[in-house]
Amino acid sequence: MSNKDKYDKIFEDTFEIEQEALKGLEYNQIEAWDSIGHMELIATFEDEWNIVMEMDDIIEISSYENGKEILKRYEIDIK
Amino acid sequence: MPKNSLLLDKPRLLEKLTDFYRQVRKNDGKVGTKTRGIDLNFNNACNLRCEYCFTNSPKGEHFRDMLEMDVIASIADQADELGYFEFDLQGGELLLRPEKLFECLEAIRPERFYLYVTTNGYFLTKEIAERLAKAGVARVSVSIDSMDEETHDKIRGKKTSWRRAIEGLKHVQNAGIDPYLNITVGHYNAHEEDFKALLDYSKDQNYKTLLNVAVPAGMWSQMEDIIVDDNDREHIKKLRKEYGNLVRNLWNPFDKNNEKILGCTTVNRLYITPLGDVLACPYVHIKLGNVHDQPLKEIVEQGFKFKYFREHSDLCLAGEDKEFISKYMTTDGQSIFNPTPVQDLIENEGLELVDITPPKDS
Repeated sequence: MSNKDKYDKIFEDTFEIEQEALKGLEYNQIEAWDSIGHMELIATFEDEWNIVMEMDDIIEISSYENGKEILKRYEIDIK
Repeated sequence: MPKNSLLLDKPRLLEKLTDFYRQVRKNDGKVGTKTRGIDLNFNNACNLRCEYCFTNSPKGEHFRDMLEMDVIASIADQADELGYFEFDLQGGELLLRPEKLFECLEAIRPERFYLYVTTNGYFLTKEIAERLAKAGVARVSVSIDSMDEETHDKIRGKKTSWRRAIEGLKHVQNAGIDPYLNITVGHYNAHEEDFKALLDYSKDQNYKTLLNVAVPAGMWSQMEDIIVDDNDREHIKKLRKEYGNLVRNLWNPFDKNNEKILGCTTVNRLYITPLGDVLACPYVHIKLGNVHDQPLKEIVEQGFKFKYFREHSDLCLAGEDKEFISKYMTTDGQSIFNPTPVQDLIENEGLELVDITPPKDS
């Protein structure tokens, strides 16, 4: 599975949404992406790629799109 | 737990919540000795006369005493340092003196906490709800005893209290604050239609429902027939899965399947009285120390020396563990203003120092 597939699956499974809903998705835009959902998202990224994210990055992740940019800082290329 | 509040705008809160989440995950979903929340009753005066009040407000106990604002500010600073991330302001009824409440909110510096107010809703107008939102309050919990107006008013000892509570929750929601409908559930109502009606109402309104099990404390001191039994507990477990919006401090809030138990949160959630006494929880009237005399870190360490507060329990000690209740909650006159000192209970146990300082790298 490519990193992009893994990335998308994490969002889909964490928030129980379909692929079509990913584009433009932002924190707090859907009920599932609340603070608890955010914790789960971060934890799943960390488990999937064996990383420990910095707090600044955890705060900065606020959308499906910018998550990809932030994961690049951990040498994880989402494509 | 923060829901609608803009968590990403509160970096210090997010940092503490992330740390809590990671610790709980590492500890197999259990809270262990991880710090969680502060319940602060800075004044015990109340306008209602609730039958089951655990602070004895209907008796007028210590209604004049008020914890000083500089002490509250210091508590908040120390709590923040120790990783506490929830802060619940409760009474008495704090909206009896709103200016004091808003002064308190400012002293706490809400940007560091998931801050909430627990109220009977009587004075919870649209204007007050909007002011609370502006002041950084993220959640308001309103206690409701029945969907029958007369029943609720009778339990609360005041007419119109139901209507004001119901309207108050709506104002909270409209002000953009997380609304929580609090219900006390015991052996007397766990299977009743009225309890179900409250759950249905809360769900329909898109509120969260906080369940507090009835405890034999305060006005219900030594009344053991109200305690939930195994059958009631099983029933509540089923309701948790059925409704999906039920919350208990005992339950793991991160479990989407609505099954896991975090554990009893004595000391993980501290209760502080208007006199500055620190109790293990609002319902366990055992005193760990006093904020005027000791730093909070020392008080917390003292609390975790007692094995019941240190070891994991799947049951709420105050409301479900009959052995604990009969051993530690049946002293005559025991109350939040006359708590049993924990030192008296530690005696023969080994003193194990538990470091509750949060790690510097999360």
